[in-house]
Amino acid sequence: MADNLPSEFDVAVIGTGLPESIIAAACSRSGQRVLHVDLRSYYGGNWASFSFSGLLSWIKEKQEKTEVSEESGDWRKLILETEEAISLSKKDTTIQHVEDVCYISQDSAEDVEEAGALSKLPDLGGSVTNETAQQSEKGCLALDKQLLGTKGCEMSPETIASNDLECTPEGEDTEVISERESSYDATSGHSTLEIEKTDNASTTEVSNLEPKKITYSQIVKEGRRFNIDLVSKVLYSRGLLIDLLIKSNVSRYAEFKNATRILVFREGKVEQVPCSRADVFNSKQLTMIEKRMLMKFLTFCLEYEQHPDEYQDYKDSTFSQYLKTQKLTPNLQHFILHSIAMVSESDSNTTDGLKATKKFLHCLGRYGNTPFLFPLYGQGEISQCFCRMCAVFGGTYCLRHSIQCLVVDKESGRCKAIIDHFGQRISANYFVVEDSYLSEETCTNICYRQISRAVLITDQSVLKTQSDQQISVLTVPPVEPGQPVVYVIELCSSTMTCMKGTYLVHLTCSSTKTAKEDLEPVIQKLFILNDAKETESENGGGLEKPRVLWAVYFNMRDSAGIDRNSYDSLPPNVYICSGPDCALGNDYAVKQAETIFQEMFPKEEFCPPPPNPEDIVYDGDGTQPEDPGFSISPEPEAEPLPEESSTEEHNE
Amino acid sequence: MAGGGGGAAECREHLFKVLVIGELGVGKTSIIKRYVHQLFSQHYRATIGVDFALKVLHWDSKTLVRLQLWDIAGQERFGNMTRVYYKEAVGAFVVFDVTRGSTFEAVSKWKHDLDSKVLLPNGSPIPAVLLANKCDQKKDNGQTPSQMDQFCREGGFVGWFETSAKDNINIDEAARFLVENILANYRSFPNEDNDVSKLKLDPDPLKAESKSQCC
Repeated sequence: MADNLPSEFDVAVIGTGLPESIIAAACSRSGQRVLHVDLRSYYGGNWASFSFSGLLSWIKEKQEKTEVSEESGDWRKLILETEEAISLSKKDTTIQHVEDVCYISQDSAEDVEEAGALSKLPDLGGSVTNETAQQSEKGCLALDKQLLGTKGCEMSPETIASNDLECTPEGEDTEVISERESSYDATSGHSTLEIEKTDNASTTEVSNLEPKKITYSQIVKEGRRFNIDLVSKVLYSRGLLIDLLIKSNVSRYAEFKNATRILVFREGKVEQVPCSRADVFNSKQLTMIEKRMLMKFLTFCLEYEQHPDEYQDYKDSTFSQYLKTQKLTPNLQHFILHSIAMVSESDSNTTDGLKATKKFLHCLGRYGNTPFLFPLYGQGEISQCFCRMCAVFGGTYCLRHSIQCLVVDKESGRCKAIIDHFGQRISANYFVVEDSYLSEETCTNICYRQISRAVLITDQSVLKTQSDQQISVLTVPPVEPGQPVVYVIELCSSTMTCMKGTYLVHLTCSSTKTAKEDLEPVIQKLFILNDAKETESENGGGLEKPRVLWAVYFNMRDSAGIDRNSYDSLPPNVYICSGPDCALGNDYAVKQAETIFQEMFPKEEFCPPPPNPEDIVYDGDGTQPEDPGFSISPEPEAEPLPEESSTEEHNE
Repeated sequence: MAGGGGGAAECREHLFKVLVIGELGVGKTSIIKRYVHQLFSQHYRATIGVDFALKVLHWDSKTLVRLQLWDIAGQERFGNMTRVYYKEAVGAFVVFDVTRGSTFEAVSKWKHDLDSKVLLPNGSPIPAVLLANKCDQKKDNGQTPSQMDQFCREGGFVGWFETSAKDNINIDEAARFLVENILANYRSFPNEDNDVSKLKLDPDPLKAESKSQCC
């Protein structure tokens, strides 16, 4: 693996975030020789997801702000007289104000490490029965409690990726989680009930009244079960990313869960928003009249374009003013504005609001009762899926690879090569660069917005129901005008992003101040931050808030929407991708990738479906597996079945 | 990706994802080609654009095994695998070339990488079989069988085989041995993955929906 990279490609892509990865996949798919590099040791750039220990290293790295020692500049000797160099930046300045806070005792956790590969069960032969596994799991936990401060089991600390770590035998961990969930079901409507049928594997154990507390050392030890995204997004079920995943069949690499509920924060309480027809009718919080009002209005929104007279007069008002003129109670107006349209109260006009409402409604029911999908193992998985696709079509991947400069031919003004940190010159026809790699000189004229982010590990859901496996999208409207709307995504352990007994809560808003200043007030409303003991006795009632066990805050640069022409002197064959934007969905990244691809290769199709691997089935008996008996596979994860794959080819 | 199963008495069908890893040029792709391809060479297509090859095994009268063999694509050269590659694998071949000692030295690194990226749902490493490939060109300066046995025990391999993709030596046997190990794991944890709320995005969900409605 020490051999040199080839020195000639068609397309060089620098950065492995979502738009760059989509472009790399599209180029490779259309037959281009692609080199895809990243300076970091992990995939995804600011779109990455990390295990708990991976995130701690990331935090440390960002807090240290180590000055990258200035290069010797030797590479400048490699630039010919007929050429110019545009140097690239080697330090990432897109993340600021990183602050992590642990709200539970860290004593005794100092020497605990993330449980690694060589794990608990010494016997690899597969003869372990379910029962013994359970016991050794138990034994291991007990052991850890005794041996805290020593290395628990065998560890291998450096792990970025973890895998299917779910499914430790049920029951064991359940005690940790289930609290008074069984009795708390005030607002769950029909939708939750439906989901429970399928999704409540680990609920309803009414165990000790005193819940077992998650300790910091448990979080560290179970760190591989976390996949913590730097970017918090969901996929609109009829959004561009879903369409692209399906069209390109990159979807085969990923699995998803439907968000199970939409929540809203209103008058100090978290409530579930009824959004589908079934939800509305089954809602216990709406009156009969409200149900009719809401259904009537939502039905209108689905085809608002055909009734321009209904909103013509309010075209220039804000959507919230328009809602006031409709026959809707304040309750309903709040739901529609903040949780269905999800538009700003102060500066979204009526048409924006109606359009957004329609989009939301249009996405309902494709995969479930809410419009949103979340990828298992986190959003960071999606860019890797496109990278895999690129690699399968021959793309070359190289992480921890920094690029010194772009080499520009003076005469043509075009970029002709890059020079890497080994001084190797790699030529290509097209260059795609994620904007965090651009130097300060290139970006002097640009003023960036910021995104405020917080990620919390908590011990309960913000709205408890019988099922502890909910995926919730919550909108918290600004307390005072001028403050940002905060989007909250709460993930349960079956999304493969956090350990059992915990929830991973992502908060996002566009920044007005530092992330902590923007988001802590919201977190204080929804959660308990200080140490548990006192609050528990004070708060005897059923409305106890979840506790934050651990939190991190940071600001991320939002470079979406920057005009290419504002960069200083870029050659025409260098294309710039922006980092993640602040929106809830991924449409911006997909649009950007497609636009750049079409500029480079106007005649090529963008990510057409690949040949299906099942086309090269070899059967020991010489029969192709077209036997209909196989196509009724009970296995939900089965790859596309032969009969489906034929429809797929007709898809485009 | 523990395989699914039908009713107890009926034919069981399993889908197993198996990784084939090892240094550049040790013969990973040749092994896959040989194993999957020998009966149907005329149908073989270029590897580009294919992320796994599928081998269907009629294991016994009640068991059908669909084996997905995942080659490591263009990424191998610089050793940066996406998680997508490792995700939900249930077995692996780690391949080295008996004529090149450096490829044997890299075996431990590959095994370590494997174990750090994927585990069985119960938390144990996935079964890995070590393949000493190109044994048709073997010279007498390699490891002795007893040394190899010891190496496997220490390295956490379930076993090893001398193979030759060229002369078709031991490849079927190695695959059979790995599948036996995978099936043994599967029998120990039969109902691990029953989370039916997971979604695969169907290429044509509308069609699928209407299909289910008309039934």
